[in-house]
Amino acid sequence: MVGRVAARPDLSVSIGALQLTAPTLMGSGCYGSGEEYAPFVDLVGIGGVVLKSVTRLPRTGNPTPRLVPVAAGLLNAIGLQNPGIDAYLERDVAKFADRPCAVVGSVAGFSIDDYAYVTERLAARDEIDAIEINISCPNVAHEGETFACDPNLAARATAAARAVTKKPLIVKLSPNVTDIRAIARVVEAEGADALAVINTVRGMSIDVERARPMLGNTTGGLSGAAIRPIAVLAVWEVAQAVRIPIVGQGGIETARDALEFVLAGASAVSVGTGNFSDPQAPLRVAEGIGTYLREHGHASLRAIVGTANPKFLATR
Amino acid sequence: MPALEPSPTVHATVVCDRREPAPGIVILGVRASELAANVRPGQFVMVLPPSGERVATALGVYEASDDRVSLMLVVVGPRTRELSSLGVGDAIELAGPLGNGFDLDALGNDVALVAGGVGIAPLLLPAQRLLARGARVRLYYGARTSSALVDAELFESFGASLSLATDDGSRGHHGYVTDPLLRDGAAHTGIAACGPSPMLRAVSRVAQTLGVRAQLSLEETFACGVGACWGCVVAHGVDEDGAASGLIATKPPSSAVAEAGDGRPFTYVRICKEGPVFWAHELRW
Repeated sequence: MVGRVAARPDLSVSIGALQLTAPTLMGSGCYGSGEEYAPFVDLVGIGGVVLKSVTRLPRTGNPTPRLVPVAAGLLNAIGLQNPGIDAYLERDVAKFADRPCAVVGSVAGFSIDDYAYVTERLAARDEIDAIEINISCPNVAHEGETFACDPNLAARATAAARAVTKKPLIVKLSPNVTDIRAIARVVEAEGADALAVINTVRGMSIDVERARPMLGNTTGGLSGAAIRPIAVLAVWEVAQAVRIPIVGQGGIETARDALEFVLAGASAVSVGTGNFSDPQAPLRVAEGIGTYLREHGHASLRAIVGTANPKFLATR
Repeated sequence: MPALEPSPTVHATVVCDRREPAPGIVILGVRASELAANVRPGQFVMVLPPSGERVATALGVYEASDDRVSLMLVVVGPRTRELSSLGVGDAIELAGPLGNGFDLDALGNDVALVAGGVGIAPLLLPAQRLLARGARVRLYYGARTSSALVDAELFESFGASLSLATDDGSRGHHGYVTDPLLRDGAAHTGIAACGPSPMLRAVSRVAQTLGVRAQLSLEETFACGVGACWGCVVAHGVDEDGAASGLIATKPPSSAVAEAGDGRPFTYVRICKEGPVFWAHELRW
């Protein structure tokens, strides 16, 4: 039944103590620090930017080529190129003092201690509103993704970050696992405030003429529309397994794409690769969600979270 | 070089003219007065995909005057085929101007422009600006075959002299464009080049042999085109502080230093943001 139509549906979202005025985040690694896109899009209209991941030590990143456009998607193997937490805090973080939207710091690591150390230092800064720990980068040999693929390590990385900050903590999960629900449960149990579902799907492409891998790193992570059904299923399953909010992501380009994730059980969404073909995508997604809510008589986005997912609804 | 910051933005506009100077090569004129006024020689735009594609197409700005810029594209796949089929009046969205562009002042008063194929596109504005300030300009222009030597006469009409080369010998030197450059390049005070990577590497070697400094406009697959994703990088020299050294008209990014196979330290810089134009002697490729 269509209820009273709200003039302006409420699109605000709470992720732990993090209040977002719009449900769209910019995915880590796809938006730099926000300033790169500032000329093209009014950041006031988006919920927040998840920064590119930072590590304890500087990282040169992977050899080139790092990108391969493929059917309905993009393969990448950047390799966490970043200046390291020291230089990052010194040179890069201060510019977020006048941020027009929420800024979520992203932490990557190669040991449990890395997650604790980098999270503590980054979260200590006032310019950072929340922390996402990236336990699922597929592009750093065997080290990075190990944490998202082993329940014990996922739990320990989460606990390590949780112990050093009270700021909202999001843990980014990998789709490259047998049962993502098992990982989600232990991460929730260790105190995560939200889950980002999903990171890229492992993949590769081969240059047939030269008979060798296309990417300098051989393997990479697949993003874009190609992985959307994988991501929607992951959100669907995780939503049935945990009570904490989910930030759905994986191939979102339009409001209808985003709504699939919301109806599966995501409280908010991230746009990543979709920015590359349309810098206005995050604004169009938020606007389109508002239009959908109005047309369907919903006063808020919260009202439709998980409404296509009976097992999710049964737990609420 | 003075930091004359352009104001990149998304231009939603229309195609105002179209010509096909050679099979598979299309020049699209678009209405964009702000872009025409702001673009620096060697800068590029991201052409946002008309429908459902994942990656925008980076194209160097070819002509720029009054309220019009033009873009040259070669049809190599579905995206460029779609763009090449646009006609007069069709909508097109461009983000730009992007990247650093050439440092024309640093090239001196006798400049060699070196183009391979559609690498000619970002060299027209430099030619015009250099000639306007009284510099001598010789265009070394190579392509597969004579019909693919697009608009050589246009450069000549502005006052540039020509050295042409084709792979099949159908016009000019039969062989690489770097052959005539090597033969008479020492007379030049600077080199600016754009073309496929093997040609740019050859230009870099020739420049070193001649003792002339060269600026190279690099080509790479871009995802974002604005410096956000770190997908389009090239290994670049660093200064004693570990920051990228000798960049053209932009500030070095914070980055991490590594060591190349030859033991020289390098850092990966973004072609779309710190480039696409780099000093050849700073590249560690």
